Amino acid sequence: MESYLNTPIKEIISKFQKVGEILGEYDIGCVPCTVGSCLLKDIIEVHNLSEEGEKEVMVRIAKVIYPDRVIPIPKVQRTTKTRSKEIKYSPPMKKLVDEHVLIKRWIALIPQLLERLDVDSPEVREILLNGVDFIRSYADKFHHAKEEDILFKYFDENSDILKTMLEDHTKARGHVKAIVEAVEKKDKKKIIEHLNAYGELLTEHIKKEDEILYTWMDRSLSVTQVGEIYSKFSEVDEISGNGVTERGRTFVIELEEKFEKSKKEVRT
Amino acid sequence: MKEFAGCPSSRTVDFREKGTQEEVPAAKVQSQLRQWPIQLHLVSPTAPYYQGADVLLTADCVAYALGSYHADYLKGKSLAIACPKLDESQNTYVEKIKSWFDDAKINTLTVLIMQVPCCMGLVQLAKQALESSKRKVPLKSVVVSLQGQILSEDWI
Repeated sequence: MESYLNTPIKEIISKFQKVGEILGEYDIGCVPCTVGSCLLKDIIEVHNLSEEGEKEVMVRIAKVIYPDRVIPIPKVQRTTKTRSKEIKYSPPMKKLVDEHVLIKRWIALIPQLLERLDVDSPEVREILLNGVDFIRSYADKFHHAKEEDILFKYFDENSDILKTMLEDHTKARGHVKAIVEAVEKKDKKKIIEHLNAYGELLTEHIKKEDEILYTWMDRSLSVTQVGEIYSKFSEVDEISGNGVTERGRTFVIELEEKFEKSKKEVRT
Repeated sequence: MKEFAGCPSSRTVDFREKGTQEEVPAAKVQSQLRQWPIQLHLVSPTAPYYQGADVLLTADCVAYALGSYHADYLKGKSLAIACPKLDESQNTYVEKIKSWFDDAKINTLTVLIMQVPCCMGLVQLAKQALESSKRKVPLKSVVVSLQGQILSEDWI
């Protein structure tokens, strides 16, 4: 069993499908993950299971892997402290979680935008390009840059969990590039494909960060590091934040109002 | 006669039996104090040891209750102590804490208090100072039980 703790989860799930189902029952969503290189021991630690929860999940996994034998269950050696399941973020993590709110409001508008998708309409094309500008300036340059240039530097960037997050950022950038090209070519099918894919990717990515990554990071960081990261985030906010945040907020609010207004017009 | 049931901060509780267990020779515990003075009325908020520091604001009783106070909390930090129940002129405290944020540009402030309700006043002073300061800094609250266990440790 010890060797399975050091095995990438995708490898375990591909051999023992039931393990993926068991992890899913504990809100550990490794099955849909496209990377799956995290080791089982890291997954148990990162998801901050209680001691009883860890024992329970390990016993169930052991029964799947060794159905005919009773084997000793190894305890995962944790490098971070176990804390309660109630999420209370440190101030820098709270900043990032709060920034996610605006990004999620934009993602929530994508289905309505696609319903109105007329590639020949200059107005719709302008909304699409403004959406791309919001993603690039707010979600990527402002928010993701805080993660990549500051926060992730406090951790091992070659760790599987950070590689997965960075890969999501790269994929998101790929979708945005494809959206711009599709708008230029008035390729409706490609716009729908990449805008939907972007929305799905970011929804899952934000959930992973809010519920798993940031809480794990908070358990790992020292008080001094939390203060340093907060101070560096505040510098970014001061230099570029206000303008970018205000522009992004205005874009999202105006689009929400526009769609709400047209819904009302349809009803009346 | 009914046992005294008034303010928890002055209720008589006897831990004598428990207190003698797991004793560590005092000589092995190194002091982590790096400054003097430490009482909040006596310190200057802009003293060199507060500049850019991680600061501990500790309620007077905490260091007596928490056995690992020096190693787990004081180590590497600058300190001030105060009692939110008995100390006078607490407006001065708010101004001094504010000066830590704005002038000394401290990195973080951790407030260690006892579990008794009146001790929460020290966290309130810190929050009040933070709300009125121009510069924002991470503020943490740690609550210690009468027998020295950590009951909660939360960023505010």
